Amino acid sequence: MKRLLLVLVAAAATASDAGKDIKVVHVLAERFVYVPSVVKVKRGTTIEFRITSEDTNHGFHIPKAGINVIIPKRGRGEAKVIFKPTEPGEYAFECSKACGAGHTQMRGVIIVE
Amino acid sequence: MRRLSFFLFLLGVTAALPAQDPYKRIEELEKRVQALEERLRQMEAAKTPAAEPPRAAAATPAPAPAPVAPPAPVETAAAEIRSSLSGYMDFHYNKTRGELSPGVLDFHRFVLLFGHNFTDRIKFWSELELEHALVEGREEKGELELEQAYLDFLVKPWLNVRGGMMLTPVGLINERHEPPSFHGVERPFVDTVILPSTWFDSGAGIFGDLGRGLAYKLYAMAPLDATRFSAEEGLRGGRQKGFQSVTERPAITGRLEYRGVRRLALGASFWRGRTGFGLASVNPRVRVFEFDGRYRLGRFAFRGQYAQVGVSQSAELNRALQRQTGVNPNIARSLRGFYWETAAHVLPRRFPHDLALFWRYENFDTQRRMAAGFLPLKQFDRSAWVWGATYYPEPDVAIKFDYTIVRSQSALFRSLHSVNLGMGWWF
Repeated sequence: MKRLLLVLVAAAATASDAGKDIKVVHVLAERFVYVPSVVKVKRGTTIEFRITSEDTNHGFHIPKAGINVIIPKRGRGEAKVIFKPTEPGEYAFECSKACGAGHTQMRGVIIVE
Repeated sequence: MRRLSFFLFLLGVTAALPAQDPYKRIEELEKRVQALEERLRQMEAAKTPAAEPPRAAAATPAPAPAPVAPPAPVETAAAEIRSSLSGYMDFHYNKTRGELSPGVLDFHRFVLLFGHNFTDRIKFWSELELEHALVEGREEKGELELEQAYLDFLVKPWLNVRGGMMLTPVGLINERHEPPSFHGVERPFVDTVILPSTWFDSGAGIFGDLGRGLAYKLYAMAPLDATRFSAEEGLRGGRQKGFQSVTERPAITGRLEYRGVRRLALGASFWRGRTGFGLASVNPRVRVFEFDGRYRLGRFAFRGQYAQVGVSQSAELNRALQRQTGVNPNIARSLRGFYWETAAHVLPRRFPHDLALFWRYENFDTQRRMAAGFLPLKQFDRSAWVWGATYYPEPDVAIKFDYTIVRSQSALFRSLHSVNLGMGWWF
């Protein structure tokens, strides 16, 4: 019984620690913006982006990290991106799938403090 | 492959050896194997310079053929996003009730967009549009327009530089004009005769994201040409469209947009510039101001826009143009337009298709205020009701229908009722 209790406490502690380190950010992509377009996190935080589109396919490209995913069209689900920046600084993200006349202005930034 | 070659070579060597003492034969083979290993090492050492970055290899005048290392996954992704091609089209059927002309099928727009990323910080984007399918010299036919062709230099999220052929950052439609992104077969009247979309010209400017949902653009662009303004379509004819645009005194234009709340977009924009470079005696200043908003609440979508234009020295402008052409163009001192649109997405979310029903009320007057001595033409004080539906078999394909009634304040002109069908896609 004691062993069982110990295992449960350890599992709870582990889950709690994992929750602290992961920040879930819901991003809405739409011609030609991300909402939010600025994401601030503390160093060492793992960010889980859950990105949906209001219209067409968009891309989510973080050049510094080599991450590039396609966001499904409206009503076709979400894209999940897990990003753990190791160094403080600014990590720009941008749309990598041509989405319209203002495609090149679709950008945002992750600020790691 | 190397292993196979080595194996075959070994077989050949074995076959070539004369029959002798097996131990000696083994020793001989070991020596040969050592010699081969040494030779292989030398070959590997010789190959090492070819594994340097591609830039170094490209600088070599005549590079020897070298084995190509498989690219890393990151490089592959970068290559895929370096250049892009996309496009859209607008295909319409318009029939105005009571008019003698039959219905018109018009391939209104066929547009291709090309982009290229020179680096992560230097990017090119362009939009080439063919309007009305056919272009013939010296004929009143379609148009081939280079609506965008600019370079972006990315410095900081809040400060970037753009130069080339650009869209004027004014209004709801001018920068978001892909057919699936608005309801109605034709663009709103306010975005046609008050704000002359597609409004584009050469220029340069800065833009960026200020944080907290605020983004801005501020450009210096080629001005409008006042000699081509009109009573019916306001500023529309005055767009220079980057064709050897006169830029003695560039116009200044900008937009501030707020996107701090999900599904809400608020924007305000302006344009101001001198427009009389084609006239000796008068140089009217044009001021454009507009604000707009969009909001989505559940299955409902709302959007609205207000736009106002002021033309200084309009009396002098009318007189100068009358001296040139013999006709008084009756250009107004003030133009104004606004609209409100409500749309409801009526199919359940689980359906793979989407259907939006909408209505829009527009009010637009290109003769709102006149200079002293000039009378407004009431037929250009107009309102429009547009009812329709947009069916999306998939989010990038829109099949549109609307019924439009345009009324004017003049008793001499009847209301125009039209049925419009359209098809548009984006890829």
